[in-house]
Amino acid sequence: MGHPGTRSDRSNRSKQGVAFVAHCLLNQNSKVGDGAHCAGVYSPIVDVLREQGWRIEQMPCPELAFTGLNRFWAVREQLDTPAYRRHCRRLAAAVADMIAVRAERGEDIVLIGVEGSPSMGVHITSSDPARGGRPEWPEGTAELTSGEGIFIEELRQELGRRGIVPGLGGETHALPDHDEATQRTRLESVLDDRGRGEQ
Amino acid sequence: MRPDDRSFRIALVADGYVNPPPGGLDALAVLAAAGWGVMQLPADDYPAGIAARVLAEVTEQAEEFSRHGYDFVLIGQRDGLAGALGAAGLAVPDQITPSDAAELLAFLNARPAPPPSTWTWLNSADAP
Repeated sequence: MGHPGTRSDRSNRSKQGVAFVAHCLLNQNSKVGDGAHCAGVYSPIVDVLREQGWRIEQMPCPELAFTGLNRFWAVREQLDTPAYRRHCRRLAAAVADMIAVRAERGEDIVLIGVEGSPSMGVHITSSDPARGGRPEWPEGTAELTSGEGIFIEELRQELGRRGIVPGLGGETHALPDHDEATQRTRLESVLDDRGRGEQ
Repeated sequence: MRPDDRSFRIALVADGYVNPPPGGLDALAVLAAAGWGVMQLPADDYPAGIAARVLAEVTEQAEEFSRHGYDFVLIGQRDGLAGALGAAGLAVPDQITPSDAAELLAFLNARPAPPPSTWTWLNSADAP
């Protein structure tokens, strides 16, 4: 073949469940300017899901369609408007419909977000209530804080109304202490926990 | 500041190439190596109404990329895609249904380079 790893030899494993992943994990072109870590597919997350036998489903990028490719970097408070909330609820309802189909078939569900994102953060988002106006602030301004991004929050609420509790994991590239091995271990732990039926 | 590594190249990919059956072609591995982003198309086992909503969202995002000159290709096929793209004034991109990695890679490598970005920060001599 000459292209090792491109045949789905690992698909012989039984599928463990379905991982709904943030759009940018398969398409870094959707990132805010200066935010793309690689050309396209962020392989470290995909590799873990493949090895663990999880099916991959891509969620939409809520910021891309709403604020566009030329958007500025933003914190949660800047995006948290009624219109953006409605946009996220619309997208979340569509994703929840897909998740419900899988859940009704008994498939396990995990959400893989992007830590530090104002929209896709799972455990860590970015926040600065004072930010606004002309985009000037010191490099390194503290903005990372515990909490969810707006889309993940809306999606989890929609899933909760449907009685679905997903596992939660996050890509950590934006965090100052990012370490690929640690990210991998954390994701494997989330997947393993779900495999054992823990939530 | 660090460089932005985006490729300005995106493949619309049928689910069977994202989640291949045993022995099937893992297009994600090929696209990752070739530097293409992926927009996944809904699996064929979703009800039509759900698939239509997903295709509408895919189209809305493709519109934004297209107006900025990103290159698109289609890998595999998906019922309803042409209609969804057409409703937004987008054509179905050049398409391939590859049987192996070499065929897909040759198709991708034959694409012309995307036009230079209009982002001044990306093209600036000061860019890292």
